Amino acid sequence: MDKKILLRRMRRSPQFVVGGILVVFLLFIALFAKWIAPNDPNVVNTMIRLKPPGFVDNGVTYYLGTDQQGRDILSRLLVGSSASIFISIVATVAVTIIGTSLGIWAGYKGGIIDNIIMRATEVTMAVPTLTLGIVIVAVFGASIPNLILIMVVNSWNGFARIARNNVMVIKNREFVQASKVLGAKSFNIMWKQIFPNITTPLIIQASGSFGSIILVESSLSYLYLGIQAPQPSWGNMIADCRNFLPVAPWTVIAPGVALMIAVLGFNLLGDGLRDVLDPKQRR
Amino acid sequence: MSDVRDNTTLIEVKNLKKYYKINSKATLHAVDDVSFQIGCGETMGLVGESGCGKSTIGSVMMRLQKQTAGEVLLEGRNIFDIKGSKEDMDVRRKMQIVFQDPYSSLNPRKRIKSILAESYETLNLCSRSQLEECLEMLCDKVGISKDMWMQFPHELDGGKRQIVGIARALSVNPRFIVCDEPVSALDVSVQAKILNLLMTLQKEMNISYLFISHDLSVVKHISHKIAVMYLGRIVELADKEALFVNTLHPYSLALLSAIPQVDMDNKVHRIVLKGDVVSPINPKQQCRFAPRCWMSQPICFEKEPELCEAEPGHCVACHFARESRKNAQNAEVISLDNK
Repeated sequence: MDKKILLRRMRRSPQFVVGGILVVFLLFIALFAKWIAPNDPNVVNTMIRLKPPGFVDNGVTYYLGTDQQGRDILSRLLVGSSASIFISIVATVAVTIIGTSLGIWAGYKGGIIDNIIMRATEVTMAVPTLTLGIVIVAVFGASIPNLILIMVVNSWNGFARIARNNVMVIKNREFVQASKVLGAKSFNIMWKQIFPNITTPLIIQASGSFGSIILVESSLSYLYLGIQAPQPSWGNMIADCRNFLPVAPWTVIAPGVALMIAVLGFNLLGDGLRDVLDPKQRR
Repeated sequence: MSDVRDNTTLIEVKNLKKYYKINSKATLHAVDDVSFQIGCGETMGLVGESGCGKSTIGSVMMRLQKQTAGEVLLEGRNIFDIKGSKEDMDVRRKMQIVFQDPYSSLNPRKRIKSILAESYETLNLCSRSQLEECLEMLCDKVGISKDMWMQFPHELDGGKRQIVGIARALSVNPRFIVCDEPVSALDVSVQAKILNLLMTLQKEMNISYLFISHDLSVVKHISHKIAVMYLGRIVELADKEALFVNTLHPYSLALLSAIPQVDMDNKVHRIVLKGDVVSPINPKQQCRFAPRCWMSQPICFEKEPELCEAEPGHCVACHFARESRKNAQNAEVISLDNK
């Protein structure tokens, strides 16, 4: 696709612009959290518990207040974002690679391979995320690789189905037949001929599923099955402070709003990408 | 047209069958017992209506689909039981295909250069350093300018794309090319250009073609001999002149009468066939054309006619091949009355 047309479509899609700005902003914070954070997120000071936003103590301003152990919420929020976002990025990349490869394989080979993989997607779709998470953590323990495993098992099926359906349309096109006549290997046909033609729906799916993956990560952390204390994450911040909601609502609202912005940003980016990359939509 | 044919047979199709199983009882006979030969530098036209199995023959010969029975001999070797990748590559270098639709036959995400380079890479035809040189030679041959190399297929028009498709087939220096309706998706003016290119290349490189088409005037222009297919069977097979002047099969007569004529004084009566094509699923043991034939007799519904030589070099599958031309006059009258 022409770069100029792509750029123009990007500018004209408000979802893409807003989502893009939010995502870039979040990535920037996640990357530089350690240096941006005004205070140490893990320093406990019981003298200044549950103070409201804007509280000043010893010349240090707590812009978003403090939690029940007197830790700076802003710093915890910033540092917590890097764990949440980077785990979600790794999980999204893993899910995209695994789901897409299996989907292309199923769609191209058809027959029994297709049947096995598609039944597997149905099985994993039927298992509720949290149940699966609790089982995996109970068996293997809570750790970051296990967290990523939960997310991969939870959302590879969307990629596999999208890839498979697109491959089934494209594998009968004549350029694929031409490659077969030349004697190209199946792997090369799948990777070099078919894959470049199905990237658009997969990119859209990836940015859309990032939003749901970050939510899964937060739910698991909320249940203390994900990122473990003392490392802050948005999920365990909400969990820690949920009992203080009536007296100190800011302790829960801050990570809640952060989570909302992250999900919104990635979902908007996904919608925007669909508008930008879909050639049938003329703008 | 100068004739570059010699008498050696390049490719021979023997009793080729391709059935598709629909369910436990029904089998679709797409290609049923088809045999023909193509000599070096010869073009065989294959005509017939949609769904009669023309393209299936092409794709079975290219080993894109598995045959049900029969063999295809390339220089005496059966290409269906080739063992070893070296032999396999050798066959692939000798047989290529040009597809009908120039829009879907080129990968929309690849530049022309890498589309053409694919064959050199998969078949190891030349080293990486020679690639550029090989591509230049290839493009010179078919008339692709170098500034097209970096373009995507959607930036080219239909004719140019089809030339790229032909160039891809030529890149391996094949002896034989299946042209699967290569011009039916193009404008008439572009059609002529592509046909002339194919004919020039044949003369230069002594290539044989199997030219599949439903357009008789195109086939007449390019072919040396013509096979007429009806429902998976060849009903008439003859040299071009013999087929056009001395048509024997009633179906071929009907087909020829459908060519639009420019000459208004010499009106040819149109034979209009009635009824639909019979289903190719589990065909009965009878002449497949009989239900639509204007001269069918009881025997046509009882016995399937064999393809046999009615005149030297002119094969036809009809019980009444000798009478058909006479009867055609009556058929025309009937058809005109019906209008």
